[in-house]
Amino acid sequence: MTTPRFLNNPPRFLFFTGKGGVGKTSVACASAIKLADAGKQVLLVSTDPASNVGQVFGVAIGNSITKISSVPHLSALEIDPQAAAQVYRNRIVDPVRTILPESVVRTIEEQLSGACTTEIAAFDEFTALLIDSALTANFDHIVFDTAPTGHTIRLLQLPGAWTGFLEAGKGDASCLGPLAGLEKQRSQYKAAVDALADTKRTRLVLVARAQQATLREVLRTHEELALIGIAEQYLVINGILPQQAVVHDDLALALYDREQLAMTNIPDSLKLLPADRIELKAFNLVGLDALRKLFITDVVLVNDAPETQWLALSAPSLSALVDDIAKDKHGLVMLMGKGGVGKTTLAAAVAVELVLRGLQVHLTTSDPAAHLSETLNGSLENLTVSRIDPHAETLRYQKSILDAQSANLDAKGRALLEEDLRSPCTEEIAVFQAFSRIIREAGKKFVVMDTAPTGHTLLLLDATGAYDREVHRQSVDKEAHVLTPMMQLQDVTQTKVLLVTLAETTPVLEAVNLQTDLCRAGIEPWAWVINNSVAAVPVQSALLQRRAQNELSQIAAVANTHASRYAVVPLLKNEPIGVARLHELAISKN
Amino acid sequence: MKSIQVFDPALCCSTGVCGVDVDQQLVGFSADVDWANEKGAHIERFNLAQQPMVFAENAVVKAFLERSGAEALPLILVDGEVALAGRYPNRFELSKWTGIPLIDAPTKSGCCSGNTTCN
Repeated sequence: MTTPRFLNNPPRFLFFTGKGGVGKTSVACASAIKLADAGKQVLLVSTDPASNVGQVFGVAIGNSITKISSVPHLSALEIDPQAAAQVYRNRIVDPVRTILPESVVRTIEEQLSGACTTEIAAFDEFTALLIDSALTANFDHIVFDTAPTGHTIRLLQLPGAWTGFLEAGKGDASCLGPLAGLEKQRSQYKAAVDALADTKRTRLVLVARAQQATLREVLRTHEELALIGIAEQYLVINGILPQQAVVHDDLALALYDREQLAMTNIPDSLKLLPADRIELKAFNLVGLDALRKLFITDVVLVNDAPETQWLALSAPSLSALVDDIAKDKHGLVMLMGKGGVGKTTLAAAVAVELVLRGLQVHLTTSDPAAHLSETLNGSLENLTVSRIDPHAETLRYQKSILDAQSANLDAKGRALLEEDLRSPCTEEIAVFQAFSRIIREAGKKFVVMDTAPTGHTLLLLDATGAYDREVHRQSVDKEAHVLTPMMQLQDVTQTKVLLVTLAETTPVLEAVNLQTDLCRAGIEPWAWVINNSVAAVPVQSALLQRRAQNELSQIAAVANTHASRYAVVPLLKNEPIGVARLHELAISKN
Repeated sequence: MKSIQVFDPALCCSTGVCGVDVDQQLVGFSADVDWANEKGAHIERFNLAQQPMVFAENAVVKAFLERSGAEALPLILVDGEVALAGRYPNRFELSKWTGIPLIDAPTKSGCCSGNTTCN
């Protein structure tokens, strides 16, 4: 594969989408370079907050189209969605900042700090690039390292959203609400959405890893975007361990088998997409030469890393963290992190460790596969396992609202309400309701959860008093609550938040953002847990040694900068299922 | 007809559905506003998160926020004077202020029928 299938006869717009850490930015950069090398005029648009696009090309890029002198025909542009959202917030808040009371200003700012604001602010920035304009007229291809979500596109497609909000100036569409400062005309948003749904102009490339969890997530994105008319989709599985790299290394071999199995069991509707596989490279994807080699399969693998260079990483184990948690005898332990970092597994490991220390534990997971909860249920005497199914909770919540409101709404209003109910906030609120039912047990035993509301949700809840109401409404013993639930979450002796991440750039950055969000709500994560670390296990394979080497700087950043305490959990040969393997995960001495 | 201005708290939408706690009253009120406006009333709504400038520029509203804070919203002004605060009006109250008769309103009109504002 010298030219991947997704670059055959490419249309004008190419979007690369996938969850953080799968390598979309690298694939997008390599694609842009390849097209430019073929003589096309290319604009590369990066929204990656960890964007190293500037570093790759040795130019400072920023928020304006910049020519890349080292690659003829290539220009680049960096969009920071957080900054775009901040510009929006400022536009609304600045004029009243000194006029209205400070507490009122804070309320407004919090309302404008949700995921929806960021999402739509980023789309607003894209719009200019998707419509015909002098700005982009000279480019044959525009390559994006991200794609708008289905929710954003659907909202903009709804006629009700326009008449209600954009034209009347004040509206009902919640997720357009933050865009009171929408600058562009309806025709421009419509043109942008039309361009996205036009297969002659737009191709979507789904970037995944050969892992069950990421493939499942990609499947969801695929189906959602296909449903709204983005039909031209390709699949790329990135970072696959090549067979020749796994000889003489048990861990590498086990990983290889796991990846091959994940690719064999790839969901049916993904199988129909034109697909490419990109092998894991033994070199870092930094610099033009490296990126030009990304799509080449026959890069000779030399075992150039010295064989016994494995240095014992002296990092605390999960078990050591649990020792500290256990001292409290009871409390709430919440594991937070982006999807796919292993929160559920680590929540199970923490629960098992606490039980092994003779404590009563209730483990609640939102594990979609449920196999983990099933294997643990009944296996330990002091362990109760329950499940919150986010999908089921969301459906229940949506139904309860639609049932209550339908009578009051016309068809347009109903469509808009239904779309609002598909916003990312809805799932969070729905799960939150289930969550509040369980946390009150934490006064008597340990409650360990693999899910938690974001700081943004908590702040909104706290501001409206809704959180207290919610918990009290569900509480049988109303007298027992002296403290507000928000205070319970802020009190580190009652609640410990463990932030889960991987020792890679983007996941660490995402965890930093989560931490900032929680701190805004007065909740300081108690510890960080770095999961699936290769640096924590001895490896012979050159590829894995390289990966271990790369992890060290991320682990150091967590240990020295981000976390007040931390633990490193090694990548294990076998999937950590069942009490014995979970225990192995926790005690592993690094 | 009298002008009615409703100063909403910082909602992300006028129905509050994507907020943290769906307020049944709010959804009912949105419908009541549509009803009254269709009958010729002039009811304007302002959302603190979206049009804070309107709050800042109105002396009555600004003073209210300084005294009681954003948590005391909503605030309803009729012809510029405070008519109600802390809750949304029901259809009965809207009828009283606007002079629109309740007679031909749907069955849910009037106090204590559709929404729960007067318990």
